[in-house]
Amino acid sequence: MIVRAALIICAALGFGCTPTDDRPHDPNIVLVFKHGKLSGDEQVLSGLLREFERRHPGVIVREELLPSSSDQQHQYYAMNLDGGQAPFDLLGVDTVWVQEFAKAGWIIPMNAILPPAEQEQFFPGPIQAATFEGQLYAVPWYIDAGVLYYRRDLLERYGVAPPKTWPDLVRAAQRVLDGERDAGLAGFVWQGKQYEGLICVALEVLRSNGSDLWGGDRARAEAGLQFLRETIVRHRITPLSVGMADEESTRQVFGSGRALFMRNWPYAWALLQREGSPVQGKVGLAPLPSFPGYPSAPVLGGWMLASPKSSAHPQEAAELIRFLTSPDAQRLVALQMGYNPTRRALYSDASLVKARPLLTDLYPIFLEARPRPITPYYLLLSQAMQPEVSAVVVGSKTPREALEAASRQAARIIGSRDSPVAVEGL
Amino acid sequence: MMDWFRTRGWALCMLALVGLFCLGPVLWQAVTSIKLDEDLVRLPPIIPDRATTVHYERVLFQSSLGQSLVNSVVVAASATAVAIVVGGLCAFTLARLPIGGKPVMLGLVLATSMFPPIAVISPLYLLMRGLGLRDTLIAVGLTHAVYALPLAIWLMTSFFRQLPGELYYAARVDGCTPLRALLMVFLPLARPGLAVAALLVFIFSWNEFMFALTLTASDATRTAPVAVALFPGLYEIPWGDIAAASLVVTLPVAGLAALFQRHIVAGLTAGSVKG
Amino acid sequence: MIGQPSVKPRSKTGGIRLSERTWGYLLASPAFVLVGLVAVAPIAAALWLSLHRRLPVFGVDEFVGLWNYAQLWNDERFWAACRTTVYFTVLSVATELLLGFGLALLLDGLTNGTGKSTRWAQVMIIVPWAVPTVVSAQIWAWLYQPDYGLLNYLLHRVGLITQPIDWLADPDWAIHAAVVMDVWKTTPFAALLLLAGLKTVPRDLYAAARVDGAGAWQQFRHITLPLLMPVVVIVLVFRTMDSIRVFDAVYVLTGGGPGNSTETLSIYAYKTLFQTLQFGYGSTLATAMFLIVAAFSSLYLLLLRRHLQEAA
Repeated sequence: MIVRAALIICAALGFGCTPTDDRPHDPNIVLVFKHGKLSGDEQVLSGLLREFERRHPGVIVREELLPSSSDQQHQYYAMNLDGGQAPFDLLGVDTVWVQEFAKAGWIIPMNAILPPAEQEQFFPGPIQAATFEGQLYAVPWYIDAGVLYYRRDLLERYGVAPPKTWPDLVRAAQRVLDGERDAGLAGFVWQGKQYEGLICVALEVLRSNGSDLWGGDRARAEAGLQFLRETIVRHRITPLSVGMADEESTRQVFGSGRALFMRNWPYAWALLQREGSPVQGKVGLAPLPSFPGYPSAPVLGGWMLASPKSSAHPQEAAELIRFLTSPDAQRLVALQMGYNPTRRALYSDASLVKARPLLTDLYPIFLEARPRPITPYYLLLSQAMQPEVSAVVVGSKTPREALEAASRQAARIIGSRDSPVAVEGL
Repeated sequence: MMDWFRTRGWALCMLALVGLFCLGPVLWQAVTSIKLDEDLVRLPPIIPDRATTVHYERVLFQSSLGQSLVNSVVVAASATAVAIVVGGLCAFTLARLPIGGKPVMLGLVLATSMFPPIAVISPLYLLMRGLGLRDTLIAVGLTHAVYALPLAIWLMTSFFRQLPGELYYAARVDGCTPLRALLMVFLPLARPGLAVAALLVFIFSWNEFMFALTLTASDATRTAPVAVALFPGLYEIPWGDIAAASLVVTLPVAGLAALFQRHIVAGLTAGSVKG
Repeated sequence: MIGQPSVKPRSKTGGIRLSERTWGYLLASPAFVLVGLVAVAPIAAALWLSLHRRLPVFGVDEFVGLWNYAQLWNDERFWAACRTTVYFTVLSVATELLLGFGLALLLDGLTNGTGKSTRWAQVMIIVPWAVPTVVSAQIWAWLYQPDYGLLNYLLHRVGLITQPIDWLADPDWAIHAAVVMDVWKTTPFAALLLLAGLKTVPRDLYAAARVDGAGAWQQFRHITLPLLMPVVVIVLVFRTMDSIRVFDAVYVLTGGGPGNSTETLSIYAYKTLFQTLQFGYGSTLATAMFLIVAAFSSLYLLLLRRHLQEAA
């Protein structure tokens, strides 16, 4: 009897060491900022938050981290926001979630802190992606878009200029590969794993061919997908392993000197150019190629800040969002963490450009970057499309079969009873 | 059949292969964890010519892995304590006491562990939030204890069934309550079986990821597997750091298992085979 | 079970005299209270959800009874996931059992007395099982990398392959790569249980068989295997239950791709629940999984009962 009681008491004590909210009744307002783990120095963001606290006495900001995986964050937010009482006041949202969250009524409009006049100061793509039924629901925090990396040294050796069209890229890769005769060298690596990144790549190819994954000219769409498959089987400039490649694996391959061209996000630049990297100083960055007659079509990425409807402190949360997306904060984050700002003016900011000259090259790309389909149905559509495109990449389906299967599923999703929203652009 | 193995040389050779199979991937992680960042994707050489401790430094001193290891220990120990105590009482009942509907009870308990966790996680999270236990170690420990209960109960029931009934009746005739009989008579005999169950529950709780991820939110409550999941930044995956972290998270459990392995076999021998 | 004499105790402390039956319910109740609160309540919620069409983003929340289950019937992705899951389970469990048996026999043969080698062998075998699943998936993802992964490198060095194999990108290989990883992780469980079983087989049975002229294989078939059947069925039950519900390992390794070739039921359920936010249908998928697991378990337990009766 005593033994049992003792055991239970020990267990209870064990449970008792739960250091959660050790603040007793705090007269201060506590804002909880929920976001995924960021790359780079976390102290920079903490520093910004402390600065905000200094400027707003009586407000404390507490960061809570989620894994950087977009899927896991989405799961967390969905569970909490649907339950009603979300235990946070600010959240970092992926560009493609804003429509969905806004439609669900989970986040509040931000027009008050970023009126339409001021929205002009941001890139048009993110603003478009964050606008639902005429209102802005999230403020763009940092921006990303697909770019082409190339080995400057190899291209120079063969007198080839960075390609502007996809056929040019194929020719350049074949030329260099023939010349180098290196079995370990790949021509062109991109993200072909079955996940959201694949949709970005596919959209970039199809849109630069005048079509799209959903709707648009079906024949040209098939040609676009066929092109992706052909880089592997016909032109032989891409290894089959792209079927399992995500951002990091392609970055590793390119970064160890084993690829000529790479499609990736701008984040890789800093890693490729740092001390000890085998390709340091040999890398160039250019806009993505397109098919002749069409403009380049980089896909928009990046993250935004929003506030849930259930927040008890909407005013202070809005203030914090305003602060974090202010020019000074964005400049700091760009300088010290390498995230690309969403305010256009910063790209002509002398000190910033001097420290990060790449920004000049990135500016026109970000200006052109188009969001993925702007609809609350996007994640449903993407989930239906990912396996189909992946099947094309690894050769289990032809582009026609894949597109047909995907559009059948889309019709089923959107055409199902009680779907109250008409989808533009589909 | 035992003659086969008399050629010890051959047997040891097989053992080496087995060792390679079991430990190979983990050893590869160990090698990865001492490679410099630039060498991470360079193959050959398998064993790098230059080594670094930077990954371990980052993992142990510059991240929250240390705190998360402590949390893991607390959660796993508490979950084990609760599962063994509560489960042990239930197992004793199912083994020795004349209550009705035993197969139904066993079946019900088993059924709850058959349901896929992914569907349960959302209502469970809301339940914990409703109870005010969001982001506490209690929530994680309690969940782990409950989900480990079926296994613990099953193992201990079959173990208690093996123990001789005469001792129990002798104790009861002497005037002990069933509970006292359990504590005075059965427990000392049951140590191997309890050790097995305890180790299984501990390993389950230590390695459990999904519930731990969902029910915790801050550094102060995170457990080790969740901390490892937090190493990758957006797009960037620090393989060296992750390798170091994986080893740091695995070694305590492997060590514990090594310590207990004597008890495991003894317990499993007595408990499971005769059903 | 031997018939229990009804014991009427004389309580030493002179306290309340409760019947054995009451004691039983009392002692078993904490377990059921805990399970009821923490496990049953969420399961009931999930089951209830499975009877609804629930799309929070679009404000759809209606009771549809078994309509979701009817939808399952026509869902080709569900059936594909079923096939993948069953294939994975059968391959995985069969291999684990075979390998586990091999390991157990090996260890049993080695451990006639020498304490130290036994201990080391047993520790070695436990290691894969002690590694957290997400860590193990990352280890194998790293090993399977076609360009800088150890596996292709070794195979190439040994001369077995000329071109790197795309373990995870090739739709034919991917599911098998997942099986290998799962087998690595969980064979220890089977090996340990079977080893324990082997140790209880009386040695003189083998001696007698040898005298009768039986060879190694016959000894195995007629002595070892029948006596070990209960353990085998237990391993089958647990491992099948876990394999059907496998999630973390495969999700981290392949994400369900390429082309959904490694999409197991739980990955499909996860994506439905938390990517597309179809809470009702996702719960239906989970319930379907539960029913499949329950069906397999019941099947095995029927077999177990028969063997238990035989053994007794």
